[in-house]
Amino acid sequence: MVSTTTMKPDAPPVEKLDYTPQAVPPPELSPEQARGRTHYLNADNTLLGWLLTVDHKRIGMMYLVGVSLFFAAGAIAVGLVRTNLITPTGAILELDQYNKAFTAHGTIMLFLFLIPVVPGVLGNFFVPMMIGAKDMAFPKLNLMSLYVWAFGALFFVYQLMVGGLDTGWTLYPPYSTKYSHTNVLYAGLGIFITGFSSILTGLNIIATVHKMRCPGMTWGRLPLFVWAMYATSVIQLLGTPVLAVTVVMAAVEKLFGIGIFDPTIGGDPVLFQHMFWFYSHPAVYIMILPGMGIINEVLTCFARKNIFGYAAVAWSSVGIAVVGFLVWGHHMFLAGQGYYLSMVFAFLTMLVAVPSAIKVFNWTATLYGGVITYQAPMIHALGFIVLFTVGGLTGLFLGTMGTDIHLHDTYFVIAHFHYTMVGGMMFAWQAGLHFWWPKMTGRMYSDFWSRLAAIVMIVGFALTFLPQFVVGYLGMPRRYPNYPPEFQIYNVMSTAAAYIQGIGFIMPAFYLTASLFFGKSAGNNPYKATGLEWQTHSPPDAHNFPATPRVYFGPYEYGVPDGLALVDKLDAAHAAANSKYSATEGVTSGS
Amino acid sequence: MFGFMEMPPVYPEQASKFAIEYDWLYWYISAVCAFGGAAVYGLLTYCCFKFAKSDTNTRPQRILGSNKLEIIWTVIPLLFFLSFFVWGARVWDTAIGIPPEAAKREYFVVGKQWMWKVQDPDGLRQINEITLEVGVPVKVTGTSEDVIHDFGIPAFRSKFDVVPGRYTAAWYEPSKPGTYHLFCDQYCGQGHSQMVGKVNVLTSDQYQEWKTGIYRTPFLAAAAMKNETTKGPLDGSPAWRGRQLFHKLQCNGCHFTQSPDDPTPPKAPTLENLWMTKRELSDGRTIGANEDYIRTAIRNPTEHVRSGWKAIMPAFHTGLATELDIIDLTAYIRSLKPGDLPYRNEKSPTPIGGAPKASPGAVDPPKNQNPPAADGGKK
Repeated sequence: MVSTTTMKPDAPPVEKLDYTPQAVPPPELSPEQARGRTHYLNADNTLLGWLLTVDHKRIGMMYLVGVSLFFAAGAIAVGLVRTNLITPTGAILELDQYNKAFTAHGTIMLFLFLIPVVPGVLGNFFVPMMIGAKDMAFPKLNLMSLYVWAFGALFFVYQLMVGGLDTGWTLYPPYSTKYSHTNVLYAGLGIFITGFSSILTGLNIIATVHKMRCPGMTWGRLPLFVWAMYATSVIQLLGTPVLAVTVVMAAVEKLFGIGIFDPTIGGDPVLFQHMFWFYSHPAVYIMILPGMGIINEVLTCFARKNIFGYAAVAWSSVGIAVVGFLVWGHHMFLAGQGYYLSMVFAFLTMLVAVPSAIKVFNWTATLYGGVITYQAPMIHALGFIVLFTVGGLTGLFLGTMGTDIHLHDTYFVIAHFHYTMVGGMMFAWQAGLHFWWPKMTGRMYSDFWSRLAAIVMIVGFALTFLPQFVVGYLGMPRRYPNYPPEFQIYNVMSTAAAYIQGIGFIMPAFYLTASLFFGKSAGNNPYKATGLEWQTHSPPDAHNFPATPRVYFGPYEYGVPDGLALVDKLDAAHAAANSKYSATEGVTSGS
Repeated sequence: MFGFMEMPPVYPEQASKFAIEYDWLYWYISAVCAFGGAAVYGLLTYCCFKFAKSDTNTRPQRILGSNKLEIIWTVIPLLFFLSFFVWGARVWDTAIGIPPEAAKREYFVVGKQWMWKVQDPDGLRQINEITLEVGVPVKVTGTSEDVIHDFGIPAFRSKFDVVPGRYTAAWYEPSKPGTYHLFCDQYCGQGHSQMVGKVNVLTSDQYQEWKTGIYRTPFLAAAAMKNETTKGPLDGSPAWRGRQLFHKLQCNGCHFTQSPDDPTPPKAPTLENLWMTKRELSDGRTIGANEDYIRTAIRNPTEHVRSGWKAIMPAFHTGLATELDIIDLTAYIRSLKPGDLPYRNEKSPTPIGGAPKASPGAVDPPKNQNPPAADGGKK
């Protein structure tokens, strides 16, 4: 059924707000009301109620548990890797153990953490809420994508249990197809299946953004997180099938030796690299774009500012999504790729760097003239800007054909992509998780511990990877368990900082869990944020909003005090201007 | 053992002409990035302190954006990025544009799990070691016997993937004597980090001394003498070794010069004057006969059938002819001038001065010290 009542301010907000939310918030509940309230967490709180739920919020929470477990697994693997690198001859692992450890780190972190984390958890949870919908466009498909992901993840787990994989996450043939005796097929199956989950989530989010926006939520009023998720979903939808095809080809090659990638019978191993990077380069934008979206939400809220250049930030996401598909060849300058092909890829790589730069400038400008407070989400967001800037700038060295010759496949590359994927994406994820945690759980975490953890993570992270730029420029190749002794000091520095970083990443597990039991009640909108997702109770009702919200303003009107006073006038103006305009326009959700 | 007792290096040695050109670009990009990064960080720090919430009841300003600023910070970075691209493409040109004088001294490297085989232009083979003369530009052509490897020398700022099934190349002009690292930079399996070696750059005097020492002077002298009196490749050279293989593999059972005493006509096209000529194939294509053409013709002959001939040649897989064998055969075929192709089933001539039982190139290579992992290959 479709709700026909917008939230008219028949009970006007209790206090005059010094900012303007996108829609009229519900009144705060009294403690007694809050205690007896039914919300998405406690309605039908049975095992089956969770496992068979079609509620996007519950699915998001289950994703949260899943990706957190795999993050821990990936982190343990890299703990082994970094510890082994303390000495030039390898401190704790044999050669093939090391190869399996870094492969486990890469595959788990990419396919089971970075790709699903934000679309799966925050995208699922907040895209419908931010556009004022009751659920995703296809709630059952959404549940299916979770199970498909979990099923695919099982193959990774199985593969690890029966001996692991030693090909690196890139799976280059002919090593993976002909020479590696490890579990390439199981890992490939895992990649293939989790890919479908990624496609389904992307499809769902695209349909949701197109069809489920509440009245007044125009494209120009969409929060930038939704824009970023939209761009991400387009990439997932178009790119992931190519990965699936590639994995199938590699599997057929391995099983039957048909020779697509085998040079001894006329195949070409570089073809695999083209197909692999056709997905995997856009995939790095699948990982980073949602992070960039989160940063927009957090920065504006804690600086109390409109985003600087809404259109520029939104279109730069789309620009990255489009041009990002045309730069894959910059991974293969040295793989015997044609001269002019390399030129084209290098040129387009320089173009794709521009939208990221635009975003960084806009974020910095957003802070100008604000009133900034430094809670944990904001510290993470600032950490993101600082670290992502390093990651972006060092990418220029690798996208430039001349400089890539020496830096390709060295620790410089490792440091670069960790500065974007961890320094960028991981800190954006932390910012988003801390920002929305009160909404997701209704509880507030410890202010002190969360700030401390943010600082420990950022400092530990920066110190882990800075030495790797130096050792990479010196020429230390990646994936080396043994290395020349003069590189030792940099590796020791890096490992020491990695332990600090590790402590930082363990801390949230404790204080976030503790907040569930001992945390203060967060209230509906602890950060006084403008987004629709905050204009409801915490945790949200099973169908998100008490009534379908109606949007009157853009997403970041922190500088306009009490714009809601105008709502009646706006309604009247709407009614006069267009009598067809009704509260139900754009709402197509059933049930 | 503990590298950190000494001052660790902070930038790699510049040991080739290209390294200097490379580093100029590297430091240019570094300078631009440092400047850009400092600008962003400066503004960020300023805003973070200046606009931190204070006790006074300041209101945030409502600033929506500025098209002028958007254009400025789109165009300026774009111009810098394009300058990286243009300069980077020039450096790339230098790296892959092999000068003719370098092409005259061509080294071959073959990567296999987990070692490097190197053969110098005179046929001398070394394992995990390449010896170069300072100031002499050389070309290095590589291929792989199994998986993809990467022949990287940081001190030369040079690196190229060696890919099974094709030849890739680079060139160096060493500018500073010394010993440098040689790394495999493309992950190739268990022993990836053991696939390292050293690059010896010697002064001209050292190089001559080393060369004669390794070649055993009497053998060289005999070979030189032979060269004056008879035609054909110098003993011990890659082409000479290729000729031995040509007979051993019975290539001249089909590819031969018709002898006056033997009426059998050749069953396969002549290989004389083949190098870099256009070859017409039975499927209508025309291909230039370069090293890739010859390699494919040996490994997978049905792919290149000369027009007018039948596809009767057997394929020579790696068990019959290694990648180095193919390089030697290519050198021999390259050297064939009219009249050089042997008669049918003619035996190979015995080398002068050398003991024929082992091929002379198998002179014991200098012991491989495998420097970076000297204490590596642990346990």
